[in-house]
Amino acid sequence: MDNHINKAEPNKWVERYSELMYQYVLPRVNDNDIAQELIQETFLSALKAINGYRGIASEKNWLFSILKNKIIDYYRKKALQRGIVTMPDLQEYDNEWFDTGGQWVEEKAPKNWQVPENIIERKEIQRIINWCKDHLKNLQQQVFTLRYMEELDSDEICKVLSITPSNYWVLIHRARLQMRSCVEKKMV
Amino acid sequence: MKKFIMKYLMLNCKDATFLMSKRDEGKLSMIDRMRLSLHISICHLCRKFEKQITEIGLGTKNVHSDFQLPVDVKSKLKKVLDEMGNSLVENF
Repeated sequence: MDNHINKAEPNKWVERYSELMYQYVLPRVNDNDIAQELIQETFLSALKAINGYRGIASEKNWLFSILKNKIIDYYRKKALQRGIVTMPDLQEYDNEWFDTGGQWVEEKAPKNWQVPENIIERKEIQRIINWCKDHLKNLQQQVFTLRYMEELDSDEICKVLSITPSNYWVLIHRARLQMRSCVEKKMV
Repeated sequence: MKKFIMKYLMLNCKDATFLMSKRDEGKLSMIDRMRLSLHISICHLCRKFEKQITEIGLGTKNVHSDFQLPVDVKSKLKKVLDEMGNSLVENF
């Protein structure tokens, strides 16, 4: 439970939150060094802004909101370094999934799943999801992460990644197709 | 009649799965929303796709790493924070 009196105690931040932050940020950036860097930056930004902390949010939520911004900034910087996205022909990408009439190719069509019923299975599914996400192609992975882990909407994601909406919709479609199929394969 | 509907009113599975993400953000026209609902109502594969993607979305939100932050990294973080804290106090 959070304390009712929310007072920032920077000398306890590392003990209290660094582990949680690490476990949160690592799957989101997929890189150990960057994860640690973002945690450090978060603590330093928080320290600088500490007089602005009014204790309305819990200390933990406050730090995590700074961390979330750091993650999004990281994706933004990465996009700026990358330059303009050129997308392969839009018509061709999903031949893997659909036939020429746009119907599911049989071996790629969704099969029945057993819905996880207990925590362990749910944990197992999350492990699978994370594995599949790590194996998405670069931009698909970024789009998927920002959409489903950071829960940004399409307009925000287009801005962060410097991509057009039409690129976005194609990328998220591919990412969803790929993720579903990967999770299904790994679950069996 | 069914063939007629399939051909002229229905989306195919590729378009239907494409439009689902747009619909989730309220970015479909009325007519596309209707076409999508119609497709989902008669296509069990796309229905499955939709359900499973929802499942994955929920799971993704809660993904956390099991890795532990190495102790030396923690002490390094503490040191950096302390130094920064001291320099802030000095500047007052």
